[in-house]
Amino acid sequence: MSLRLPAFPFDNRRVVGALFLAPALLYILLIVGFPFLLAIAFGFSDVTVGNTDLNFVGFRNFEAVWDNAIFRQVFETTIRFTLISQVFILLFANILAIIFTQDFTGKWFARFIFILPWATPVSLAMIGWLWMLDTKYSPIDYLLLQTGFLGPGGILSKDRNLFWLASPDLAQISVIFVQVWRMTPLATVILMAGLSSIPTDILDQAEVDGSRFMRTLLLIKLPLILPIMVIALLFSMITMFGDMTVVYVLTRGGPVDYTRVLGLYSFQVGIEGGNLAQGAAISLFAFPLLLAMAIFMLRTASRAEVR
Amino acid sequence: MSLVQISGLKKHFDTVRAVDGVDLDISEGEFLVILGPSGCGKTTLMRMIAGLEKPTEGAIAIGGADVTALPPRKRGVSMVFQSYALYPHMNVFNNIAFPLRAQRREKKLDKRMIRQKVESTARLLEIDMLLDRRPRQLSGGQRQRVAIARAMVTQPAVLLLDEPLSNLDAKLRANARDELKDFQRSSNITAVFVTHDQIEAMGLGDRIVVMSEGKIQQIGSPQHIYDDPANEFVATFLGSPSMNILSVDGCRFGFRPEHFLPKTLSDKPENSRLFHYYVKRVEYLGSDRLVYGYVQDHEDELTLAKVPSNVRASLDVESDYEFAVRDSDIKYFDKQTGLRIPAPKRSEVTYS
Repeated sequence: MSLRLPAFPFDNRRVVGALFLAPALLYILLIVGFPFLLAIAFGFSDVTVGNTDLNFVGFRNFEAVWDNAIFRQVFETTIRFTLISQVFILLFANILAIIFTQDFTGKWFARFIFILPWATPVSLAMIGWLWMLDTKYSPIDYLLLQTGFLGPGGILSKDRNLFWLASPDLAQISVIFVQVWRMTPLATVILMAGLSSIPTDILDQAEVDGSRFMRTLLLIKLPLILPIMVIALLFSMITMFGDMTVVYVLTRGGPVDYTRVLGLYSFQVGIEGGNLAQGAAISLFAFPLLLAMAIFMLRTASRAEVR
Repeated sequence: MSLVQISGLKKHFDTVRAVDGVDLDISEGEFLVILGPSGCGKTTLMRMIAGLEKPTEGAIAIGGADVTALPPRKRGVSMVFQSYALYPHMNVFNNIAFPLRAQRREKKLDKRMIRQKVESTARLLEIDMLLDRRPRQLSGGQRQRVAIARAMVTQPAVLLLDEPLSNLDAKLRANARDELKDFQRSSNITAVFVTHDQIEAMGLGDRIVVMSEGKIQQIGSPQHIYDDPANEFVATFLGSPSMNILSVDGCRFGFRPEHFLPKTLSDKPENSRLFHYYVKRVEYLGSDRLVYGYVQDHEDELTLAKVPSNVRASLDVESDYEFAVRDSDIKYFDKQTGLRIPAPKRSEVTYS
């Protein structure tokens, strides 16, 4: 007869596995799953802040939103801002990641300073930028004025100010610039991790093979961190696509609708305007797009990894 | 004249003296093995020859030209790493073509010539049917060949190999060793091979450089360093099981287990030194019997004997025997410096 040792529930892998998964699952269900289902429910109903009864109305909200010219412009602006900023984010993140993985004195301090935009709470950082880009008191304008680029006889403008957030073009450029400023650190950190994970043997081999800086960068380093680059891109695209804080603090979507993006518009219609159903419908338009994007990118990343 | 001349080479990392004054000449067409335990500075020495590491002091010349300050690409060396360091995202063709493309301008190569060189090198190493594969799809032995092909395709003056066989399984390793030696001989390339494996070193090297603690202990042919070790380190590092070392008041002396045999087997007992040997344990290894025991008056120093299985000598455990070593097989070392010293006169030796 074999001796039977007492079995503890924690010896069971299934029990322990479920226990370890529980917090993450709970988090996703409560913070992501529930609001998401609620948004879908709202999107197909006629709920407003004034009348919280849920009556099923089919696709009426989606049709109304799609027929709205402002929504179409907002949708287009969101995609345009996201794509343009990603180009710059990737460019700067790559350059900075390469610089920060070289050896130089003060590297630690430079990295620390550089990570700050990302570590600062968004709203706080945006209030800082609101001041930097102020219509009357912008320090940038002041410097340009002192150096003669602004003011009477100035090259940029005869005016004393550029109206960063008030002129349509500059407002869009400002918003994109601030987004790039805010998102580049995270992408850089991800790319740095990728670059430092390349085996030193491979880089030494390239050096012995006679490869110089640019060749090693373009033919060895970048292809090897491509999967990680895709992940970085995915993170920053999704964050930016759904973001409303930056424009909410800087421009409230103005001037006119030039910087109104999907997240902000949804908030303005649903919460500020009280039409919860339509606000939910607006935000749901982002869902299939983000889903497709995420699937496409994750597949690209895993395919690049497998070869 | 030698192809590579290394003089007074030192490399210090902070307080660690990885390489501490190395002088070495490597002749053209030679297969030189640098052998030593891990941490002895052999890889650092090789990386300095490659140009991947800047010496703290000293000079390296290749083909008569001082290359100490030159980057790797201007030295005419190529290297095979322990991990093979194949570019994982490129197929075999592009891996082999990489150094040619990188040096396209210096070597005045066009696309067609690159293709020709890659294909002929691949044929030489019998990997021409793998050119479309990616490294991931290759076996360990195939990866090693690709790495060697990539190193050879530029026709370097010196081929540096950093433990390239250690990632292969035991069966393949013996085979790869044989092929590597054949290949080096037929291509007549100068090869520097770093290893901690003495069997590899003995099997491959025309000459072996034994290193320890950043310094060269001895340079010589495999037989020379085995039979005629310069010091106690070399004597005990080479050979498996390693040389027995016993200390008698004046000096230390050593003899290899295979030279330590029962007196009955000794052909010239009068020219041999005799020992009372207590057999503690016998391991049967097939071709040999490995005997663990103690020599009288040296009960704290485990002494091994390696007795061929096919000779008739019964060896029972926990019994005493008379064993003998030929005088010529006994090496004497200085107690302080560990250096070899001539055998003391017979009368001076206290018999055990």
